[in-house]
Amino acid sequence: MDDIYGIFKGGTLMNPILTFLVVLIGFYGLSSSDNIIKSVFSVTIIESGVILLFLNLGNFEGGAIPILSEGVTSIVDPLPQALMITTIVIGSTVTALSLMLCIKVFHHYGSVEWKEVLSREDVKS
Amino acid sequence: MINISVLLIFIPVVVSILIYLFKWKHMNLIAFASQLLITILAVIYYNEFSANFEMTHIVLGGWDERIGISLANDNLSMSFIFLSIFSWWMVMLYTFKWGKTEHTFLFFLMFLQGVFLGLLQSNDLFNLFVFLELATIIVAILIAYKKKGESFRSAIYYLMLNVPAMLIFLTGIIFVYYTYGSINIFALTEEFRDVDDTIILRFSYVLMMAGISVKAALFPVFSWLPKAHGVAQSPISALLSGLIVKGGVYLFFRMNFLYEGAGFAYSDFFFFIGAMTALVGVMFALSQKDMKQILAFHTVSQVGIIMMGVSSADEEIFFGGILHTFNHALFKSLLFLGAGIIISVYRTKKVSEIRGVMKTMPVVSVLMIVGMLSITGAPFFNGFISKSIIMYGFADQGVRYWALYIVNIGTATSFVKMSQIFFGPKTLSYPLKNKAQNITLMFFALGCVMLGNFYIPFTEGFFGIPFDDITVASLSNIFDYFLTLSIAFVFYKFVIAKDYLPVRTVRNTQISFENGNLLFLIYIVAMLMYFIII
Repeated sequence: MDDIYGIFKGGTLMNPILTFLVVLIGFYGLSSSDNIIKSVFSVTIIESGVILLFLNLGNFEGGAIPILSEGVTSIVDPLPQALMITTIVIGSTVTALSLMLCIKVFHHYGSVEWKEVLSREDVKS
Repeated sequence: MINISVLLIFIPVVVSILIYLFKWKHMNLIAFASQLLITILAVIYYNEFSANFEMTHIVLGGWDERIGISLANDNLSMSFIFLSIFSWWMVMLYTFKWGKTEHTFLFFLMFLQGVFLGLLQSNDLFNLFVFLELATIIVAILIAYKKKGESFRSAIYYLMLNVPAMLIFLTGIIFVYYTYGSINIFALTEEFRDVDDTIILRFSYVLMMAGISVKAALFPVFSWLPKAHGVAQSPISALLSGLIVKGGVYLFFRMNFLYEGAGFAYSDFFFFIGAMTALVGVMFALSQKDMKQILAFHTVSQVGIIMMGVSSADEEIFFGGILHTFNHALFKSLLFLGAGIIISVYRTKKVSEIRGVMKTMPVVSVLMIVGMLSITGAPFFNGFISKSIIMYGFADQGVRYWALYIVNIGTATSFVKMSQIFFGPKTLSYPLKNKAQNITLMFFALGCVMLGNFYIPFTEGFFGIPFDDITVASLSNIFDYFLTLSIAFVFYKFVIAKDYLPVRTVRNTQISFENGNLLFLIYIVAMLMYFIII
């Protein structure tokens, strides 16, 4: 188990284990809630957890922001931040799209409960 | 020359944006022109580099190759690129009449092509994630395109199951990056050849594979596929079933190549999952009454057969699986498009209500029959070739052979059931003849027959495996097919057609959203237990 622990050597912002918990909370929300909007939020929570995990592992104590200027010698890894910006952008798109779909589902079924929406047979639009 | 791989992504995306911005009447001609351009570029690219594929590795923006965005191709990705360009040609031809008015549809179609070609060529893990996620978003929009209640609910079901899976895939990338300091697949393949087999390596493998399994609709996490593919419009279903699901399968063997050096890829676990996928898919397909649902569940079962092939380390079985990927893309697209025509004429999806198609639409029926013969594995059609190759590989491994045999019987039964639509008297006239749609079906049928008879030059050209030591068209194989068909006929007549309680129970089984997610978690835990603890 040493190598599993070794990867967690960074993390001064927040313990990476905690970010794992955030991911798990998101999955709990997905697998327990019957509400579509809550599911959208759960996906957002999972995404935040993953982003925090990625940024956490790249961070270390005393690391400066990755902008080159005089007197700065040790900076944190800039790559995760570049990657996570992309993930955040994609994530916001997903959230926007899924909320739009929620509205459409509500217009057609009059409900945002998974059980009710999925069990309906035919709908007249 | 070398930047053609970038152009293959760039041209469809730019053209799609042009289509959306200037909604001219003849915009679909521009789409066709760009499609022609892509085809020519892909052929030039293949001719240039087919001798030496190591030259195709490019890193964009002049960054370090270990962290930059990079693209690379090999025989496998090139063959998939040709397949996808062909599929998009066909779908664009099929939707020729829409193209004049439905600019939004054309926009998403072309954009998806650019994204999918990028997914096939990408050589760094994060880019794979980005392209997959983009494909997920666009596919969700395409599923909802019909703007009916059921298409919206399927779209959100699809999106909400797939996005968490993709985030799990991203978590796998995180662990790889922090342990090995690179996201470039070439660099990592080198690295993994001589690393110790560590827990962190296995952990990343499990997370990535769990994410990919959802995209490929494997056994416990396939619940989104029939919902999505069953309600989308027929050309979109054809594209999704034929190709986009294969994106997940493609990533599966890309990741297996990546982890080959570490020694735990190609495990029996995925054979088991593939077999379960095939069996469960067939079981659900047998019980359905809706024509498109039947086809969608058959996509699940055929992906299972492909997984049974590509999870094997044996080269012949592996390439048999890949050949089946191509064959499935051809015959499933053919069936979905044909079903689309039939449904639009009869205005119902129920198999039991459609009769007399043979007399109403003879051309479409003959082409549909070609597709049905291919999917059930009739001799001299393409499904026969790849199934025989996979079966030949499993011939001395009892259980595996019989699992595939049972799946074949199930497939045959379900298409015996579906072929009932051809019989019966002519019930209505067929005034709306659409030549472009018939031509599309003909191209796919031609592909099925061509690959069924002349597969040797194709496999030799792309994969370097001629398969000429396997006599596929042997008497025993042909006899096997007719035996399968007769068992299937009896099974249909006496069990399925009677609609007994178990059949009804399976039909009414719905995997709710919460249970879908729970199954995903259970799947991850099962993988963790298999790969890390045992």
